[in-house]
Amino acid sequence: MTTDRAPEGGTGTAFEAGKYYGHGLPYVPLNEYPGRIIAIEGTDGVGRSTQIRLLREWLEVQGYGVAETGWTRSTLMQPTIDLAKASNTLNKLTFVLLYATDFADRLEKEIVPALKAGFVVLADRYIFTALARAQVRGVDRAWLRSLYGFAIAPHLIFYMKIDVDTLIRRVLDSGGMDFWESGMDLKLGDDIYDSFRAYQGKLLREYNSLAEEFGFRVLDGRQPIDRIQEELRRQIAAFLASAEAPPRPPAEAAVPTTAG
Amino acid sequence: MTEWNSSTLVKAATKMGKKKNALTPTTFSLLHATDFADRLMYMIVPPLKAGMIVLADRYAYTAFARDVARGVDRQWVRDLYSFAVRPDLALYFRVPIEVSVDRLLARRVKLKFYEAGMDMGWSTSPLESFRLFQSRVLQEYDGLVEEFGLQVIDACPGIADQQRVVRRIVSRYLEKPS
Repeated sequence: MTTDRAPEGGTGTAFEAGKYYGHGLPYVPLNEYPGRIIAIEGTDGVGRSTQIRLLREWLEVQGYGVAETGWTRSTLMQPTIDLAKASNTLNKLTFVLLYATDFADRLEKEIVPALKAGFVVLADRYIFTALARAQVRGVDRAWLRSLYGFAIAPHLIFYMKIDVDTLIRRVLDSGGMDFWESGMDLKLGDDIYDSFRAYQGKLLREYNSLAEEFGFRVLDGRQPIDRIQEELRRQIAAFLASAEAPPRPPAEAAVPTTAG
Repeated sequence: MTEWNSSTLVKAATKMGKKKNALTPTTFSLLHATDFADRLMYMIVPPLKAGMIVLADRYAYTAFARDVARGVDRQWVRDLYSFAVRPDLALYFRVPIEVSVDRLLARRVKLKFYEAGMDMGWSTSPLESFRLFQSRVLQEYDGLVEEFGLQVIDACPGIADQQRVVRRIVSRYLEKPS
């Protein structure tokens, strides 16, 4: 069910999983740590949160500690981002910088501590949605990559890919199109439907180019929820069983390993 | 005239973060860059286009000195501010750390948590922390003088003396055919 997936076990990009993408945080050295980051990316309405909820249950049953982190959920920035969205005063740079601040706050306060404590961190979107949105708005690509150079490359990045037509039907079924998801700030069309279609089309093209650059594992987001979940579990199980995996969960770590 | 850290957009988050001492070196740096981007677009670029003179009470150099003293990467913070307009003239008022400490004590104001670098955890004494932190900041500024061609003004003499120097530098610059 997957389409043009990156080869499993290696992302085939210039980045090393678990390390900083760029300059990093000099005051937070990353030595060996037992945790792992799994990011799920995809545009609005593709069903990421449902998949993450199911993954969390599955991982916890196996004894893994699971931490979740999601876009704009930092305590520091959420009120400001909400305010900025409501008042429509964001220019594209402040937009990008507010998101980056939110991400930095969560990285240092949630993600890094969880990784050091051996958790599997499930990220409901990582930095890539921010990159896609900023690139659609014409923000300089090299600048964006330097900005997010403090992010840690996830061990696995799944991208739930969907086409614009399917996406439109889903979004309309579940409450309708909002101002920002429709890219109304870009003035792409006179009505919200035209704007949504044009904006999401551009976003999907950006995601496709990011998929190659950052080694996304692409999943067909049009499949039923349980089929997608099955594929996620298959790939994550294979990854966790491999040499790159964190130490076995406590329950199994007690078993003598003479056979291995 | 534009002041550091004054945009309404970012004020709420900065205030909250500072009140709870919740800022990391990177979120501190990014919030100030956000504030700067907001002011650049609304308060700096329009008057420049209209042919006015913009007086900026601190600019990106403050971030270069202070954020690096806090431990963020030197090149990262320079890249971060690459969207900024390069000032036509940048003046750096320099004082030795002891003068800075004496002036602060004379003002009898309570040292602010981040201004004193208390977030670094180098000393539990605000004054000692200020001394340690601001010494690192001054060290960074010294590097900036050459890197960005800042004009150094000795800020030890009285205000009237400093102002005379400033006016001389500024008028020389303004009279220069562009």
